[in-house]
Amino acid sequence: MKKTISIFLLMILMLPILSACWNQKELTELAFVMALGIDKGKNNKYDVSFQMVNPGNVTTGQGGGGGGGQGLPIAVYRSSGDTLTEVSRLATKKISRKVYYAHTILLVVSEQIAKSGLLLDVLDSLDRDPEFRTTAEIVVTKGSSALSLLSALTILDKLPANMITKELKSTESMLGENMKVSIDDFMLSLVTPGTEPFVNGYKVVGKKSDAGKTSNLEQTTSAAYLEADGLAIFKAGKLVGWVDHKTARGIIWVLNKIKSTGINLDWDGKKNALNMVPIRSETKVAALVRNGKPEVDITIRDEGWLSEANLPIDLTDPANIEKIEGATSKEIQKQVLTSIKTIQKKKSDIFGFGEKFHHSNPNYWNKVKNNWDEQFAQLDVKVKVKTYIRREGIRTNPFWSDFKNKR
Amino acid sequence: MSILSKILKTKKEKRKQQDDNLRQKQDPLKPDQLPILREYNENINRIKEELGKSPDITIREYRVGDRRGALVYVDGLADGKAISDFLLEPFMEVEPNATDYFQYMMDKTVALGSVRTITNWKEVYENLLSGSTIIFIDGYSKAISGETKGWEKRSITEPTTQLSIRGPKDSFTETLRTNTALIRRRIKSPNLWMESMKIGTVTQTDVAIMYLKGIANEKIVEEIKKRLNQIDMDSVLDTGYIEQLIEDQTWTTFPTTYHSERPDVVSSHILEGRIAIIVDGTPFVLTAPALFIQFFQAPDDYYSRFDISTAIRLLRMLAFFIALIGPSVYIAGTTFHQEMIPTTMAIAIAAQRENVPFPAFVEALIMEITFEILREAGLRLPRAVGQAVSIVGALVIGQAAVQAGIVSPVMVIVVSMTAIANFSTPVFAMAISARLIRFILMVLATMLGFYGIMIGLMFMIIHLCSLRSFGIPYMMPLAPFNIKNQQDVFVRFPIWAIKNRPMFISKKNVVRTGQNQKPGPPKPDDDEATKGESS
Repeated sequence: MKKTISIFLLMILMLPILSACWNQKELTELAFVMALGIDKGKNNKYDVSFQMVNPGNVTTGQGGGGGGGQGLPIAVYRSSGDTLTEVSRLATKKISRKVYYAHTILLVVSEQIAKSGLLLDVLDSLDRDPEFRTTAEIVVTKGSSALSLLSALTILDKLPANMITKELKSTESMLGENMKVSIDDFMLSLVTPGTEPFVNGYKVVGKKSDAGKTSNLEQTTSAAYLEADGLAIFKAGKLVGWVDHKTARGIIWVLNKIKSTGINLDWDGKKNALNMVPIRSETKVAALVRNGKPEVDITIRDEGWLSEANLPIDLTDPANIEKIEGATSKEIQKQVLTSIKTIQKKKSDIFGFGEKFHHSNPNYWNKVKNNWDEQFAQLDVKVKVKTYIRREGIRTNPFWSDFKNKR
Repeated sequence: MSILSKILKTKKEKRKQQDDNLRQKQDPLKPDQLPILREYNENINRIKEELGKSPDITIREYRVGDRRGALVYVDGLADGKAISDFLLEPFMEVEPNATDYFQYMMDKTVALGSVRTITNWKEVYENLLSGSTIIFIDGYSKAISGETKGWEKRSITEPTTQLSIRGPKDSFTETLRTNTALIRRRIKSPNLWMESMKIGTVTQTDVAIMYLKGIANEKIVEEIKKRLNQIDMDSVLDTGYIEQLIEDQTWTTFPTTYHSERPDVVSSHILEGRIAIIVDGTPFVLTAPALFIQFFQAPDDYYSRFDISTAIRLLRMLAFFIALIGPSVYIAGTTFHQEMIPTTMAIAIAAQRENVPFPAFVEALIMEITFEILREAGLRLPRAVGQAVSIVGALVIGQAAVQAGIVSPVMVIVVSMTAIANFSTPVFAMAISARLIRFILMVLATMLGFYGIMIGLMFMIIHLCSLRSFGIPYMMPLAPFNIKNQQDVFVRFPIWAIKNRPMFISKKNVVRTGQNQKPGPPKPDDDEATKGESS
């Protein structure tokens, strides 16, 4: 009896040490994939690059004797195959640790893949994988391969994947020419009737061959760096064109995602004399059918402050402020309309106007849904903008206005 | 467990007979009920013989009139000054011609507060060994016992294990009478009843129970008395003995009686209808019944304002939780659920663990055990070497272990956090049970991750709900939930809003606060009235 019990107890005690738990994996046995890059393969369907973290080189300070800070923070592995799973499994031939996708925050797709429509296959595989997070952001490379984008080293943020997502977030809130698009967002727009997806473009600027070398980090002006560039417009899962700069901003404006930006205004015949910075902006989109004709009314209401005045102007005069408000409204209206026209030419409803019609007038929608792209291209869109200037910074008139008037 | 108890049972049966035989034979100190003899010499000889001629038994012979007599006391237990002042001096002046010396001495000579006539040897030894002086007179088959207790005792000092910022600074001592006085001084009510008994066949330790008549639940008082009377052991050296002998459930890590060395805490428990058990020779007083939530109520909670005490109490509960699951969450997080750690942190931990040769569980176990050893050593080590050990400990746990690559810096943080959190539980008995369960949870976390931790915690809660303290559910008033008694659980209500005693303890007479006790500024009407009066 005593013997049985002691053996039983011993077995329990050994359990945690001997058990190879099916799901247990030590942190040091994992290779964290931060970003996944997908290129069109030469021989196979895909050439995939994995941007892995080299933990010891990322954390500064006393990194468990790892000598933190020296060496490269990332390592990029390549693998190719005809399905993503095959690629992932083949990669284990080269990587000593388990490839771990749970912390992947970025999916980089080459322009070629995006144009060929292979993106849908890629997304199915990622969406199925319980480990991969579909909250990861997605970008399309512009003018370079996904591999070269992933291999580039960055300075402020050691992890390039981190740098890209953070950069997109900051430009979204400060400029409004790009906005965060996750795999989830992309798939949702793709499957929602009356909406088409778009994705941020990203490119390597400078000497691409130097982007992945430490020498790139040892210069104050990097030889090569990464930059967000425009939006890639998709239609039925295929890339159909690019928009950039102010046209891109107009799109973001319609989508009510503008937080802050800057608008140059002409004044008294002088070009770009004033700059107005909206700090709050609200866009309302109403889709309605008037006399059997579909129409979209966009109302933008934005508040902000005057951030620059490069000519003598009396800003203490409310009449002037009112004029500036009018001019700003006109400028915004012009830009937004240009954007909408551009997109209408591409016949891809990334604004989700179709969905608005679906909600507001299902009967009309049922009639046009099969031919929506054509309808969208001819859609009558009206934009109304109301601007309020709340202040002129911490100064009213330009500091030199008196001094110049004296002369 | 059932197997274990079965084994114990069979063993018990085998041993029982042997034990009983042995005990009856080997019980030389069991005082028999023999009467005191008339012959003086024989009485004195008997004392000398039965106490083994111990040198601290003092026998002072003298003459009363024409008879011989003797004072017998234990040197050190009896107060020598009292004996010489109130016994010896008057004896010398006894009138030689009294008719009944015994009665004469009882009535006129012995100038002590408590004097009793005793007739048998059992009483002789009981009185003698608890500090009384026994007076024998030749020709009488009885003796006088005069109370002359007076041994060296520790004075009342500040509590050493249960500290508080605000509140009384006295603590119990090793003397039963001092302890009961400390409680009586706080509760000046005729309803504060005390009953005393002697427990321990050899030690004959004085044990007293104190409770508020009319507020304490009669059934629980009876139950406690019954359990105390059932104790049949040779010795009781601390309340710890009693605690283990009277608790409802032995197979638990959680304390089901409360112990304190603070008279204010014990008084407050008595006022809530609990029963205090005081044992001579130890400064720790037991109170029962005890509830789980009680172990998170520190005396400061009631002395500071309610908002602050609520916040601190919640913090204490959080700390208990951290102490319970700290290392297991680390293990589960780093070996099963890496996706739940924020990316930057996961990379940082991975970088630190890069050179650690052990899996997270072994790493955690090494650090936890090192810390437990240090803590235990710190408790036992002579004060003079304390500093040396703390330096070694700080170096071993902190720097060296990390630099040697045995553990990662995060693990050091986890272990120290857990250790500090553990100390914030006001009662050591509860803190130590968290310490034990922590290791079980660590094993579960190693095998099943967060799932294992949840299983462990679930079993812990089920176990907690099954516990009883003298018939009162341990998790009261949470399980079973009682809405009327939530004023002093997670949130300590303002003191005027705590109108009732815990109802589940004192079933009757529960109101403790009068109506309209909420303070506030003077009412404007009153103000004007006083103004009018003064003018």
